[in-house]
Amino acid sequence: MTPSAQQSFTSTSLPGSIAVAPSPSSDVLALVRRGTFGFSVPEFERASAMGFHACRAEQLAPASIDDSALDGLLASYSSLSMDVPTLVATFPQSGGGDAFVAGELRSARVLRARHSKRQLLERMVEFWTDHFNIDGNSGPLRYLKTVDDREVVRAHALGRFRDLLGASARSGAMLYYLDNYTNVVGAPNENYARELMELHTLGVSGGYTEMDVQEVARCFTGWTLRLGGASAGEFFFRASDHDTGPKSVLGQPIPAGGGTTDGETVLDLLATHPSTAAHLASKLCTYFLFYNAPRSAVDRVAARFLQTGGDLAATMEEVLCRESFRGLPIESTYKLKRPLHLVISALRATDATTSQPMGLIEELRKLGHVPFAWGAPNGYPDALGAWGSNLLPRWSYASDLLDGQVSGTRVSSASLNALLGGVPPAMVAETLDARLFGGTLAAVDRAELQAFVSGVPVWNGAAAREAIALALSLPSFQFV
Amino acid sequence: MYLQPKNECAEYARLSRRGFLGASAAGAAALCSPRLAFSNSRGSGSARPTVIGLFLRGAMDGLSVVVPYGDSDLYVHRPTLAVPPPGAASGALDLDGFFGLNPNAAALMPAYQAGTLGFVHACGSTDPSRSHFSAMQSMETGTPDHPGSGEVSGWLARHLQSVAPSGSGVLRAISVDELLPRVLALAPSSLPIPEPADFLFPGAAVSAAARRDALEGAYAATIPPLAPAAVSSLEAIDLLGGVDFAGYVPANGAVYGADPFSQAMRSIAVLIKAGIGLEVAHYDYGGWDHHSAQGPIQGTLAGMLASLSEGLAALRLDMQGRESEYVLYAKSEFGRRAAENGSAGTDHGSGGMMMVMGKGVVGGQVHGSWPTLQAAALDEGDLAVTTDYRDVLAEILTNAVGGTDLSYVFSGHAPTPLGVVL
Repeated sequence: MTPSAQQSFTSTSLPGSIAVAPSPSSDVLALVRRGTFGFSVPEFERASAMGFHACRAEQLAPASIDDSALDGLLASYSSLSMDVPTLVATFPQSGGGDAFVAGELRSARVLRARHSKRQLLERMVEFWTDHFNIDGNSGPLRYLKTVDDREVVRAHALGRFRDLLGASARSGAMLYYLDNYTNVVGAPNENYARELMELHTLGVSGGYTEMDVQEVARCFTGWTLRLGGASAGEFFFRASDHDTGPKSVLGQPIPAGGGTTDGETVLDLLATHPSTAAHLASKLCTYFLFYNAPRSAVDRVAARFLQTGGDLAATMEEVLCRESFRGLPIESTYKLKRPLHLVISALRATDATTSQPMGLIEELRKLGHVPFAWGAPNGYPDALGAWGSNLLPRWSYASDLLDGQVSGTRVSSASLNALLGGVPPAMVAETLDARLFGGTLAAVDRAELQAFVSGVPVWNGAAAREAIALALSLPSFQFV
Repeated sequence: MYLQPKNECAEYARLSRRGFLGASAAGAAALCSPRLAFSNSRGSGSARPTVIGLFLRGAMDGLSVVVPYGDSDLYVHRPTLAVPPPGAASGALDLDGFFGLNPNAAALMPAYQAGTLGFVHACGSTDPSRSHFSAMQSMETGTPDHPGSGEVSGWLARHLQSVAPSGSGVLRAISVDELLPRVLALAPSSLPIPEPADFLFPGAAVSAAARRDALEGAYAATIPPLAPAAVSSLEAIDLLGGVDFAGYVPANGAVYGADPFSQAMRSIAVLIKAGIGLEVAHYDYGGWDHHSAQGPIQGTLAGMLASLSEGLAALRLDMQGRESEYVLYAKSEFGRRAAENGSAGTDHGSGGMMMVMGKGVVGGQVHGSWPTLQAAALDEGDLAVTTDYRDVLAEILTNAVGGTDLSYVFSGHAPTPLGVVL
């Protein structure tokens, strides 16, 4: 035995017990990995104690979960609860207040993903934020997106799709972002109408025509937002700008003389359309399961969506079920974490502490995944090819996190000890497999990690940090 | 008024319309079996220029950039938005007696007059989709005749697969971005590198070799694109580490602006001059989707056009005398509707305008057959496409770059010779 192998780095605190690696085929493990922002030992132990069904039921009813610890962390983020006039008055644009507001929203996004007990809700929020994407970085959207996030996405993320869609259609941010606030009779603007069908509901192959785009645009003429006053940022219908002529959408006649009912009729049609169910099911399965989720799973989810009239909790119950997990192909272990997921999962696995999220936002910038910053209406991609080549920033993040180089975020000595305190060098890879990966570390990765540790001249806290950073840089940690 | 409508925004939104990119795991596996197998020996094409690809995502309004002021219907379709003819206030800068350049793009005039820069108008895709995302996808995969074909690889990727590396092959293509665009999906030795000057291996130097070994070993066993990207990343760290970005002095007094586009052009110029064998450099310039408050003369489009033009002008000047070392194209997924809408903007259209600059370019001309803006000549209200974008790219790959296999790059498409790039 070499001297280095005899040394184990010791700590002043008690070493944590070595968790028994869960079976990689465990349904509870699958639920934790796919329904949260990443595995952690406490999360897994809690889920195991509850059991699969109870754990899922709890996550599908987020209001029942006490999240007061998170609320405490967010208490100082005063902009999150304000309406638009208050935001503008409190954080005036002339003093850079709009950028501050957008910054608080980004920071809150990170803290919620990291600390919320309502992990599935937070994953749904990420999904719908992309699905109903709004670039929150430009002009008045820096104010408007805060309200959209709170009252559209977060309010309905596990509610009913029709409510979510309706709230989005009346969201000041969406009306502004996709120009419907300028859509008036005689001079329609098609931007929202097109993306409503292509992105939000039917999907690009969902069976609508260019004529439908024009007709839907006519239905939404007059849907605008207040630009000033006590109701700034809020939806209102300017009847004089509405096209009251007869219309036809997807073959259904919409009689003359309608007001907001024209748009509501369109939303009704779209929200319950089979193409919408198929489109959403496919995206949800891609997001939560795998890029090429089995057709049977997608069909099952779409059917549940239709049967329940677009009940999103029921739909998600169908996504995150044993049948889904057990029907996944072997390559489904290669569902890449997008950068936000990677960043948060590393914090969760290492129990890192964040006093100020700005450093994490900067890491996300290098990774190309700043929250609310995607310009186009399709949202950040959820595809292996988009993200799978940008590896160096992932490795740098892991290294910076363990080195204390991420501003405002630390992996404390206590957290380090909980992971590796008292662990002999020969058992480091095995231990990190259990504690960071839930036992899913690939054999090759594990061998490389152990070889690195075995080659370390002096096994101490600094070396342990390097080993953890390496573990977080391995392929196994890049996948869900 | 608390909230400014778009035409009063103090600054234009530099939206990032970076394209989505979706190589599936199954499709990505094709990377493991490249079309041609190469030795590591230096290829015969070491004199090949670097292809600089610009994707102006969101659909740039070609009619407001290279303005067909000689077509009187322009002013019928666009009573408030059209750029006035030369001589009028804020008028276009005459290019050839029929077309004029938007005055905000004046920085491009020297390149045009020198014959380095040319335009191709009424250029676009045979894919009739007016969806940004469908049109981008079929354009980047190079399959506009079969938009739903499921093709995964990008046409630039297939080009790289079909030619031997012109240098060491370590880093054949980069996108100056955090994401790899679909046009480079499955491209060999290709990486997204948003900041080439800052491509450094993290952590303590003393353990770097051991950590690199571990990553190399682990990533060799995983799937593409991670597996090849890891190899490329580790090699590129050393390659780029030998390039002096900080001390770079642009030639001919060229000055790059501080904006991201100009800085990307600067990085690309550094890499070309460093002679590291870079064959493709790609940049996504998003935010051209101006449905309202388009502002072609003053406003959003004007500002973006000035930024684009100044960045290109700096590159052109920096590379003056080295035109054989690069060939650049800039294009959008489609153009915008001939008629303005009620929001002082334009909705999605068809025919667009493409720019080409550098090696072999027959510049100082507006190429293409003008279909006119007469109502009967429009394609569902849009400028018709008279030049297939693939024909321009085919001339770039065949005449300026050379050695490519067009039947593989644009399978099923027989290019029409244009004389745009010789």
